[in-house]
This record gives sequence, structure tokens and C-alpha cells, in this order.
Amino acid sequence: MEGAEEELERRSKFLKSLIQKKKTIEQQEQHDHLQHNNVRVRACDMPLPLQSRAFRCARDLLDSMPPKKLDSKRLALTLKKEFDSSYGPAWHCIVGTSFGSYVTHSLGGFVYFSIDKVYVLLFKTAVEPLDHS
Amino acid sequence: MSEEAKKNFAGALTARPNSDEPKPAPVPAVPPKKVIIKSADMIPDMQKEAVDIAVAAFEKYNVEKDVAEQIKKEFDKRHGPTWHCIVGRNFGSYVTHETNHFVYFYLDQKAVLLFKSG
Repeated sequence: MEGAEEELERRSKFLKSLIQKKKTIEQQEQHDHLQHNNVRVRACDMPLPLQSRAFRCARDLLDSMPPKKLDSKRLALTLKKEFDSSYGPAWHCIVGTSFGSYVTHSLGGFVYFSIDKVYVLLFKTAVEPLDHS
Repeated sequence: MSEEAKKNFAGALTARPNSDEPKPAPVPAVPPKKVIIKSADMIPDMQKEAVDIAVAAFEKYNVEKDVAEQIKKEFDKRHGPTWHCIVGRNFGSYVTHETNHFVYFYLDQKAVLLFKSG
């Protein structure tokens, strides 16, 4: 019995170290990604994959726009629609260089980041089913 | 012949009203903030309420986030959750809102976006 316990303990430690290693790698990749895309996360409650998706989407669109010509509404629309279709409604997006906000969001559905000199607020709210009466 | 002494009294001076005294100037009224409703899907009474609450919030707070907080919380209280508010000089937005619960207006140079969702 003691042998079995020791074996379980060993495996448990191994799994924990594996998880920690994976987490460290993910964080490093995220950091490298942010640096490369000139992104800085200001506040966040969102899984990494969704964050990366938002950053990539914003980066791609900003790169496609004429330099020094920010189309805030278009970026907001693009991000909102992509997240609505990929992760379900309802997402809301605010893009600009000067604004303050106070919102309530769903768990895991909030990120506020800056990319270049633009600030992006992307958050999700629960959608109540329409009353078909 | 006896000489009667002349009695010469100076006439009583008439007090001249001092019309040169300057009156304190009335305090100039603060010009009302210019309100422009840019877009709305909201009953007029609620729109006016939003504007009034925003005006009060701007008088009370300087930071945009605090103004937004005040407006959002007041609407959560009066009209039930969940409201969201954005305040600022420069921003674009795209949101989904409940029917009849959206307003976007300007108070002088500041834009206010208020909507209900969730």
C-alpha cells in the first residue's frame, strides 16, 4: 500500500509540474505576442485564446487602414461581429483615444487593451431569450 | 441812526443724492450645456432623465470614468439592471442593446453612450 501511495504522489507531482510548465510557456508566448503587436493589456477577465483573437483581429484591421486614419467605428464593428459569431452574443466594443467607461460584463468576457495609440474595450453581456408570446 | 446788524445765515444745504455709487454687478448665469441627441432608441422621458443625470454627474465629477459610473448606477437603480455607460471625447462603438433602451448624446464636447443589455 505504501508503494502505491508513493507512486500516486510521484505522478501527482509530475502532473502539477507539467501543468505549471505549460502555463509558463503560454504566458511567455502571450508576452512575446503582445510585444510584437504593440499591445498592452490594461484590464482583463478573459481566456487567453479569446484575448489573442481580439489582438490579432485588431492588429490586422489597423494594419489595413491608412496610417494616421483611425476608423474607430469600423474596428468596433469588426471585433463585435467576430466575437458574436465565434463566441455567441452579445458582445459590445468601444474603440477610441479618449473615453471612460463603467460596464457590467459576463464572467470571462472582458478585456481592455491598448494597441498603438488606440484603446479597445470589448465585453460580453448575457442575452435573455426574446419573449415569443 | 442805529445800524441794524445784518444776520446772514447760510441756507441749509440740500443733500445731493450720490448717484455715482456703483451697484454690485449681478452674478452672470452659467450658460446651459449644449445638448445634442445624436441617436436614440428610447422614450423621450427617459432620454431627458439620462441628460439630466449626466449634467449633474459632470458637475460633480471630473474623471470620465466617474461620470460613467454615476450614470450607469443611477439607471440600474431606476430602471433595473443591466446598464452600461461610456463617456468621452473620442470613441466609436458598436453594441447590442435592448429595444427602447439606447441613447447616444453630446454634452458640449463630451459624448455619452448609455444602453441596456443583459
